Amino acid sequence: MTPMRAADTELRSARPRMANVAKKVSWSGRARDEPETEPEPEPGEATPLLNGAGPGRRSRQFTHSSFLRIGQLSNVDLDDDAHELETEVPHQFPNEIPHNEKLLSLKYESLDYDNSENQLFLEEERRINHAAFQTVEIKRWVICGMIGILTGLVACFIDIVVEKLAGLKYKVVKDNIDKFTEKGGLSFSLLLWATLNSSVVMVGSIIVAFIEPVAAGSGIPQIKCYLNGVKIPHVVRLKTLMVKVCGVILSVVGGLAVGKEGPMIHSGAVIAAGISQGRSTSLKRDFKIFEYFRRDTEKRDFVSAGAAAGVSAAFGAPVGGVLFSLEEGASFWNQFLTWRIFFASMISTFTLNSVLSVYHGNAWDLSNPGLINFGRFDNEKMEYTIQEIPIFIVMGVVGGILGAMFNALNYWLTMFRIRYIHRPCLQVVEAMLVAAVTAAVGFVMIYCSRDCQPLQGNAVAYPLQLFCADGEYNSMATAFFNTPEKSVVSLFHDPPGTYNPMTLGMFTLMYFFLACWTYGLTVSAGVFIPSLLIGAAWGRLFGISLSYLTGSIWADPGKYALMGAAAQLGGIVRMTLSLTVIMMEATSNVTYGFPIMLVLMTAKIVGDFFVEGLYDMHIQLQSVPFLHWEAPVTSHSLTAREVMSTPVTCLRRKEKVGTIVDILSDASSNHNGFPVVENETDTMQVAGLRGLILRSQLIVLLKHKVFVERANLSLVQRRLKLKDFRDAYPRFPPIQSIHVSQDERECMMDLTEFMNPSPYTVPQEASLPRVFKLFRALGLRHLVVVDNRNEVVGMVTRKDLARYRLGKEGLEELSLAQT
Amino acid sequence: MGPLGALLCLLLGLAAGGGPPRGAGTWALLEDASLALLGAALPGDLEPECQELLAGFATSCAALSGCLVRSARPVRLCQSCYGLFRAVTEQLDNITRAVGNSSKSYNCAKSLLMSDRLQIVVVLSEFFNKTWEEANCANCLKNSSEGLSNATIEFLDLFNKTLMCFEHNLQGQAISLVASNYTEVCRNCNVTYKKLNTLYTEMQRESEHGESEHSKHLCIDVEDAMNITRRLWSRTFNCSVPCSDTVPVIAVSSFILFLPVVFYLSSFLHSKQKKRILFLPKRFQSNASLVNIQEKYS
Repeated sequence: MTPMRAADTELRSARPRMANVAKKVSWSGRARDEPETEPEPEPGEATPLLNGAGPGRRSRQFTHSSFLRIGQLSNVDLDDDAHELETEVPHQFPNEIPHNEKLLSLKYESLDYDNSENQLFLEEERRINHAAFQTVEIKRWVICGMIGILTGLVACFIDIVVEKLAGLKYKVVKDNIDKFTEKGGLSFSLLLWATLNSSVVMVGSIIVAFIEPVAAGSGIPQIKCYLNGVKIPHVVRLKTLMVKVCGVILSVVGGLAVGKEGPMIHSGAVIAAGISQGRSTSLKRDFKIFEYFRRDTEKRDFVSAGAAAGVSAAFGAPVGGVLFSLEEGASFWNQFLTWRIFFASMISTFTLNSVLSVYHGNAWDLSNPGLINFGRFDNEKMEYTIQEIPIFIVMGVVGGILGAMFNALNYWLTMFRIRYIHRPCLQVVEAMLVAAVTAAVGFVMIYCSRDCQPLQGNAVAYPLQLFCADGEYNSMATAFFNTPEKSVVSLFHDPPGTYNPMTLGMFTLMYFFLACWTYGLTVSAGVFIPSLLIGAAWGRLFGISLSYLTGSIWADPGKYALMGAAAQLGGIVRMTLSLTVIMMEATSNVTYGFPIMLVLMTAKIVGDFFVEGLYDMHIQLQSVPFLHWEAPVTSHSLTAREVMSTPVTCLRRKEKVGTIVDILSDASSNHNGFPVVENETDTMQVAGLRGLILRSQLIVLLKHKVFVERANLSLVQRRLKLKDFRDAYPRFPPIQSIHVSQDERECMMDLTEFMNPSPYTVPQEASLPRVFKLFRALGLRHLVVVDNRNEVVGMVTRKDLARYRLGKEGLEELSLAQT
Repeated sequence: MGPLGALLCLLLGLAAGGGPPRGAGTWALLEDASLALLGAALPGDLEPECQELLAGFATSCAALSGCLVRSARPVRLCQSCYGLFRAVTEQLDNITRAVGNSSKSYNCAKSLLMSDRLQIVVVLSEFFNKTWEEANCANCLKNSSEGLSNATIEFLDLFNKTLMCFEHNLQGQAISLVASNYTEVCRNCNVTYKKLNTLYTEMQRESEHGESEHSKHLCIDVEDAMNITRRLWSRTFNCSVPCSDTVPVIAVSSFILFLPVVFYLSSFLHSKQKKRILFLPKRFQSNASLVNIQEKYS
């Protein structure tokens, strides 16, 4: 054992930490069933505002004359805290509660979008001349080009493999069904279909659940959070990309009600993050290129380019992709970035287009701009007239209501999943069951359907005859017995009369529940296509009934299918600008822009009236400290003083190594940024703020043993460069992996050179919206609150701001929890 | 003849050869034209060779349209009219291509194919071509389209056999309005019908590997023949009654549908609910802030 370890254990025994206490209490307090029925707080504080979280916290009064806490004093403070906790927690504080949406997880941290302008950085900037900056600019363009190409190629890969595997599966099942239709024993076909589906999905779910859980779902919420400045662990790793791509292929082939478009956005983002760093930590390969971009700020820009490239490859919508990135990450934006992102998007869709054209055998055709191709909407029948616009708006309302229903159901289901189905094995079993049920439902629907349509050449990919007359096929089978993308396109383009209203109605109903059930499973899959499919089905139904009602055929059902699809998708995801443009580009018809915009707008307004969008809902359910555009209204009376965390663990400019190690390894306060204050001679003197240093920087310093004594001893030691910090990025070693001997603990460290000497600060009186604006616009991670003597009073971080939310009854406060 | 007619003649004259130099005003042109009308031999007239070609085309067109219409139902387009279609194509080729005196025939092509707005020759030949393509007749003809391809002949043979079989077995109980029992037909012709069906599927599969979009269809004769047979077989005779095993299907599917219910119930009852451990943030709390929040809340 090293002395440091010994010291550490000593530390532990000396200072019982909050987490430990909490755990201890939690075990003893497990007999209580309903945390909500906890003793009422004192009358004066009876506010349901801090639901279930508050009274214990608020009754704690800090009586320190100064909130400044120097490392050495922390002993006393912590003991205080712990003591207080032990006395009051057991009978007042419901410290274990079931998961709910009003929590913020401690798991998530911020990204360091703010550049640390320390002396090393300034020196490096000075060394780089004008020409070198131009090289950096060129490198940016090169990276964007590569992002586009690789994203396009990944999309091609997914498309081709899905097509091959799904083709194989449907062929096997179709042959089987054809065989058993004559002889009897269709139940075996059903079993075969269900088993095939669930075994494929099982593999897809296993890799997600056991290898990389963050690859689950569409990935759009995760990327949204990343662009918002939240560090989601593992979200942009190569391993995630691998799992995502394989997972998507398997879940689409497994016949789930999912699409492969959403995950493309995540894939694009991972590709971007990987390329821009010029290395892969998963593969342990460093190509020694693009080292300049190894920090969060640069990476974020490339990630937004990657997300745009992903959208563009998925829908063949380069402009939509750019706007998607703009909509999700718009607080950090400039024109040059837009132009570069547009470049990446264009390259991405072009790569996909040309590779797929070569694959399909018509190399110069360029007719596959996206993974999903809505087909052309430019014949005369597809044109709309002014009179139809009110009808479209009505469809928007329907889409909004249905979307809200979808989200509400999914919310309920997701909550159940988080609470009860959290073990990976259970998640895999659930996914398998959903796959089997999807197959069973499809089969039963096809079996019961008597809607037969004459075969026309090879218009249908896998025509199932079943009980139809020879030369006819089952119309329900085109919807269920097919990959969802193909079903969407056939709903848009099949001539009027291909589907009978009964078929469409049943299909919509079934698929609605299946898709809702499927989203949130531990498989990687998107919700775009299922939403489009549901919408297209009821939209077509709408169009058909219109023709029945008016007795004429002016209403081409394909047009209504498109509007229904837009309405449903808008009602579920609530994207506005980017979705309009994506739909417009996917249909390659600009005149549809107006009705699509109206439909999406209506759907959003109607949907927002009931519940929020699916992605926002999932972000909230994951307890991510997500910062919206604005601080909640009616929060002006809150000041920085109430918002901030205090007391703050500060470091002195020349600090003892032992103190730093102790602070860093203190698990109860996993702080990331430490204000650096003046070396005070005696505690009474003003210790003004001098700078801010990050945990990652301290760890690198400790690793390289940059101690004052060693420098004085004139040991042959290379001066630390910015490169050393960049090499460690983004996975800095944990403090436990750094060994500091007992002697070294007595050394001193000079932080002056490494700290950021100009951190952003606010006075205590600043209002919450003001703090919020500063924080959000600059993408800060730490905002120091100082008093008028420049003394550190508190620290505002993301979770302090994100916990205020405008709920149904007014301003709500979320509580922090370990997840 | 009005000025318009004069202009037309002038244009014909231009087609005939030379013509007045360009650049003169419209009026001058018209004057020239009226002068030309005074001449004895009308240069706008068709040459005899051209007239012959036109007449030939007319005859073959008439024959082809007659044939097409006559073999419209049941569709026998390709089998009966491919010779006539070839004749029409040849006639058109004659008109277009240079035969004999090259300059004259060139004029012929020009005056027949592109000297007026209507261009009836072109319209007709386009119509025939389009019909031929849509019917996809090329698919059941030999490569040089001088006869039916072997597969087609085989298919038609089999088709005739099947129809014969139907007829043979129906004797006595004549296809009446009464939905009578056709079990005999079904039993006796099953083999032939199945053979026909497989042959058709095979042909379809082969044509799938064709290059262009159109060749994905079989030719209309074959398709129609198959349709007729299938309709007779499954609609009229009601021969293809699949075994409907509803009970096992319902049993299996309800079993599968039942599984998730069990799964969710058991995980609800047995799985430990995931609890979140609340974390106490370090905050400065003054009474003022509480009042603030409460005010806002109420």
